[in-house]
Amino acid sequence: MHKQEYILVMKEIRRIAIANRGEVAVRIIKACEELGLETVLLHSDVDRGSRAYRMANTPICIGGAASSESYLNIQNNIQGALAGGADAIHPGFGFLSENADFAEACAKAGLVFIGPSAKSIRLLGDKISCKKLAQRAGLPLVPGYEGDDQSIKTLLSEIEKIGLPVIIKAAAGGGGRGMKLVRTMSEAQSQIESAQRESLAAFGSDKIFIEKYLDQAKHIEFQIFGDSSGHVQHLFDRECSVQRRHQKIIEEATSPSLTDDLRRQMGEMAASIGMLAQYQGAGTVEFLLQDGKFYLLEVNTRLQVEHPVTEEVMGVDLVKMQLQTAQGKFIFPKNFSNRPQGHSIECRVYAEDPYKNGMPSTGLLGTVSWPEGPRRRFEFGFEKGDTITSFYDPMIAKVIVWDQNRTAAIQKMIQVLQDSVVFGVHTNIPYLTAILSHPEFINGTMTTRFIEQYFPNGISLDPKKLTERKDIAKKAWQLHKKEKLTMNSPISKIDSPWLSYWRGV
Amino acid sequence: MKSEIIGKTFWIKLDGETWSTDLSELDEQYKSANKKKAASADQILAPMPGKITKINIKNGTPVKVGDVLIVMEAMKMEYTLKSELNAHVAELKVTTNQQVTLGELLIKLTPT
Repeated sequence: MHKQEYILVMKEIRRIAIANRGEVAVRIIKACEELGLETVLLHSDVDRGSRAYRMANTPICIGGAASSESYLNIQNNIQGALAGGADAIHPGFGFLSENADFAEACAKAGLVFIGPSAKSIRLLGDKISCKKLAQRAGLPLVPGYEGDDQSIKTLLSEIEKIGLPVIIKAAAGGGGRGMKLVRTMSEAQSQIESAQRESLAAFGSDKIFIEKYLDQAKHIEFQIFGDSSGHVQHLFDRECSVQRRHQKIIEEATSPSLTDDLRRQMGEMAASIGMLAQYQGAGTVEFLLQDGKFYLLEVNTRLQVEHPVTEEVMGVDLVKMQLQTAQGKFIFPKNFSNRPQGHSIECRVYAEDPYKNGMPSTGLLGTVSWPEGPRRRFEFGFEKGDTITSFYDPMIAKVIVWDQNRTAAIQKMIQVLQDSVVFGVHTNIPYLTAILSHPEFINGTMTTRFIEQYFPNGISLDPKKLTERKDIAKKAWQLHKKEKLTMNSPISKIDSPWLSYWRGV
Repeated sequence: MKSEIIGKTFWIKLDGETWSTDLSELDEQYKSANKKKAASADQILAPMPGKITKINIKNGTPVKVGDVLIVMEAMKMEYTLKSELNAHVAELKVTTNQQVTLGELLIKLTPT
């Protein structure tokens, strides 16, 4: 019998639909432009005021503001992509990016889903089957409950068996949504119910699972990438221990916490899970590290928010690699041996009031200016005149820096954040600089409990400072009026050197 | 220094810090136009714009200090609004899934 030959019929990809919004949509559009690909932006009706809308070749409105009517609606995305003449869909992260049904629906409609196969997403993306796969591969797991019996009674008794503290997670989740910490049995039931509601709202399923909470752990993750030939390679590690309510705030590459030996072991394991799942495209294997031991946390079958720090230290473009892999054109060179160079940090800029414990802040954006410079990178989706709404994630931008070493990168990041201007919504920039200046962060010894331990109530403003700010505002306002600027427009502005007189008032 | 008026708010950036002040605090002419409802323990106002996702009470329900009255969602995060009073619900002004604006009156309580 002849050896079976496969003739791979790759559909030529010329036009990409982007099933996402904000900064990641912009990131994907830029990569498409560099590869000479056209773009179709699938957006909700409130996202016309956004950078991605202005940049895409063909914006197509696929529904209302609520994610369930637009960004989470499989049929609307497919119909929009077909109407726009797209050959493929890039799902970005969040929304439908880890939804195997979406990947399948794309294939049925003749669209290439830019990401792993539906089968790989199911194997790895569903945390429960991922754990089964990891167990077969002999990977260390955190003790927990992942059963189908989701009654409150069973969940409560499982919590007692595992032992407090435990963490409750959305089975279909990611990015911290629906995650709840339980420290006492008295709060267990309300935390379970809250997790179920958030999970249902964010992912369309209220299935949860429970895990022992490691209270001195570091969050370390490995970027993996499966090329067009089926080879899976890891691209080293990131540390994302700075998290609030289980949502990452600051990420860096590489981790300051790994020995060469741990880095090698974890990296090899990350790549091998990818191989077992026949992984294609960009993915991330997340670990918890405590007392020199590591445990598999989950595998995210998509591009991560924090992918730029890997790109900066590895000198790669992960989004272009994703697009080229979908085209059947990306294969790692045989001697691929890139090593991470220098250090990179990413800060997520959230629209929230840092002095009100992170209360969401929405509104019309005025001046937004990012201080350009060598190895400073700004990923943002909204500009002056755009409105930040309450419908979606509060992340309005990412600031990424690279420098020779970690100390220099921290110093650079603080400077860059202080020189950034965002008017119209409050941002967490003061909170970010407080974290970056904290001795535990500077030493690199922070754990996932860092925020809870050192910033349990966010940051506060000295009352003296508050009075001072009001005084400056009053004086600046008088000058502002004197400049007789037009007040007809909803936004008016002065940027006068005379106002520097008020420095140090 | 940079400054800018956006809507009814004056924004300032100075020495690496950004803050905003309501124009009503800076100028008489904005005072009447920008009158805010006073938050008080017997008037529960929306602390942010967002969606009402769960309502635990009805008109007339007795509540104690710390009871969760309403759960809201904005920017994909849940926030719970609790009672600061022992009271009963005099008026519930919203329904589940309703979008509310910042400062909107949600519940009136009558202290007991």
